[in-house]
Amino acid sequence: MAASEEKPTRAPRDLANNTAERRFSDAVRAAIAFVPEKLRPPTIIADRPKRLKRDRHKRIKVAFFRYSHYAPAFKYFVEQVLDAEYLPLPAPTRRTIEQGSQHSSDYVCTPFKHMLGDYIEALELGADVLVQFGGFCRLSYYGELHELILRDLGYEFQMLNFAAGLEQGYLGFAKECLKTVNADIDIPHGVRQLLATASMVNKLDEAYDFYLANAGFEVEEGAFRRAWQDFMDAMASCTTAREISDGFNRAMQQMRSIPLDKPAQPIRIGIVGEIFTAIDAHSNLGLDEKLLAMGVELHRMVNLSNRMIRYNEDNMRVNVSEYLAYNAGPTSTITVAAAKKYAESGFDGIVHAKSAGCTPEIDCVAVLQRLAADYRIPILYLTYDAQTSDTGLDTRLEAFYDMLAMKKEAKRR
Amino acid sequence: MLLPTEGRESRDIRRIGIPRAFLYYRYGSLWTAFFEALGYEVVLSRETDRAIVEEGDRLSVDECCLASKAFMGHVASLLGQVDALFVPSFGNGDPRAGFCTKFQAQQDLVRNRFRLDGCRLLSPRIETITDRKAARRAADSIAQQLGVNPKRARKAADGAWAAYSAACRKRAAAQEKTLKLLDEYRRVVAKDPTGTEQAPLAILLVAHPYIAHDGYLCGAIVDALREADATVLFADDTNREKAFKKSFSFSATLPWIVNRELIGSILMLQDRVDGIVLVSAFPCGPDSMTDDAVMRTVQGTPILNLMIDAQSGTAGVETRIESFIDILRFQKQGGYTHGR
Repeated sequence: MAASEEKPTRAPRDLANNTAERRFSDAVRAAIAFVPEKLRPPTIIADRPKRLKRDRHKRIKVAFFRYSHYAPAFKYFVEQVLDAEYLPLPAPTRRTIEQGSQHSSDYVCTPFKHMLGDYIEALELGADVLVQFGGFCRLSYYGELHELILRDLGYEFQMLNFAAGLEQGYLGFAKECLKTVNADIDIPHGVRQLLATASMVNKLDEAYDFYLANAGFEVEEGAFRRAWQDFMDAMASCTTAREISDGFNRAMQQMRSIPLDKPAQPIRIGIVGEIFTAIDAHSNLGLDEKLLAMGVELHRMVNLSNRMIRYNEDNMRVNVSEYLAYNAGPTSTITVAAAKKYAESGFDGIVHAKSAGCTPEIDCVAVLQRLAADYRIPILYLTYDAQTSDTGLDTRLEAFYDMLAMKKEAKRR
Repeated sequence: MLLPTEGRESRDIRRIGIPRAFLYYRYGSLWTAFFEALGYEVVLSRETDRAIVEEGDRLSVDECCLASKAFMGHVASLLGQVDALFVPSFGNGDPRAGFCTKFQAQQDLVRNRFRLDGCRLLSPRIETITDRKAARRAADSIAQQLGVNPKRARKAADGAWAAYSAACRKRAAAQEKTLKLLDEYRRVVAKDPTGTEQAPLAILLVAHPYIAHDGYLCGAIVDALREADATVLFADDTNREKAFKKSFSFSATLPWIVNRELIGSILMLQDRVDGIVLVSAFPCGPDSMTDDAVMRTVQGTPILNLMIDAQSGTAGVETRIESFIDILRFQKQGGYTHGR
């Protein structure tokens, strides 16, 4: 404003602006520039407004399905790698699985129904993007059918379906992320954080392995659960790899300091089975907690870090070549390898948990039956469908435990 | 892993048994031609019957699908009659053209479930079915196991492949011919001035080949359809390459080659048939998902989805087929708007 008011008053007096007059004037040419304060550095380009760093963060809410204790890793992946907002899901209810079963084909495998229920809840809570993995069984078709069913129901959303990038591997997955969620991902930063996500998955599994082996023998009831919850909270608020390892170290310290009353020869049970049901507490009706409450040491080889991050199928199969000649399905090799390892290391029993209709694990049953006969180790086969009552499970687990305890007692005498 | 002596140990093999189940219905002509060209006697298990399914049921875990139980029954029926069993393993090397994990595991099922008692297991691994080289490698590994000259095995494999391709082409051509006749027939009926001529009724039967062509598992359905004067077309007869390509317009991520071909066939033939019958063996893994997807998305042609189980008698199936055909004929006559 001030400049425009000044101009008309200054122009008639000063010839400076009139180039024609100035050119033909005989007066001495001189000009003075003086600004008393140094308002800018003596350079031309510094004054230019800096190009604003692009705001890479995408304000859309990304939701995963519920899967065991991996929610912090999913959160980390969404916030740090995809640079979007993570939508946490509350604990599932009976309605979750009811919704999931209602809208899916009745003989599709059970994880499909759980995930569909989770997605419906996520969309009700405001999710914009749903994430689905790909796999080497029906899992690679989950995403597309979930999307079809949810759209048929009338929901609007985007699906980040990793099965779509399967042909190109990591490059394909990256393209899917850029296309569906956030085109402005800082790629070098994203790759670093992806490695950190993998390390978080490893740490979650490592801590949970310790939990499974020891939580059954705590002196003070609930001490392990509290420590675990603290660990989950710590993991959920991590933003860097350093924070992940610090949180893990603290949690391990905390868990190791819990006083234990562990017998020299505890009953040891190995859990094997399908990667969703054998791990996810809501799908297997709290199998881990039920067994831990009986005071047993639990081991479970199948988890995301062993199956996805450091999995070498060919080498794992070498040790079980008398049972498996070829890769027989997504988790078959790890199921048989784990069962054989448990049998060889003198475990008291094995629990095989799978969802109804899981073809690869059904085929494993025949192999496990032979293994059980070879090593004389009892195996409890559990098949989970969308049931919500766990009374039947309680009865079976108690009977199994009693049998193992009696067998152990008889052996000791 | 083959031991160097294995080839020599297998020299006494004369009779090679192939279970008449699962992918025999897809690759049977290929396998038979291959082993016969090498001079072996191929012993096929007998057609599926009640005894085979019951024996297979006894040998299987309850939750296995009906086709898998039948497979186990066929293997059991061959044991003792043959020197070697041919049970290949199919991997999922191509994420868009794989198989149900059952076909990965079938030879491990056989190995762990049966006492083979000297009966050798010929089980090459074919990791990627769309890769021609994989089939050659499989032929090589069989040659190694049988102690056959690899060159001879390759020649036999090439010959078998040619025989198999010819068989596929023949089936596709026969189907195309039927479709053309149907079109012609429909034109004639449409021109019929008296209006008394009844239009033909063509039904596309969509099922895995080991269901569709198994007389015991699916025979009642095919018979009931033919009884009702319907022309039955099998979806797996359609040109496989074309159907496979077509299926990508339906789904980008569908991982199974057979389901892709079946769905491609539906899309290609949908407008040239009057009705579609989906038949699945309970509880088929791939079909549990694709049937749902087909029922939700394929519109314009009536679809009947039938599930077959070991327990089901034929009466229930026949009733459903009859009512489906009645609906189709009623629709053809104009349905409820007939005469308006």
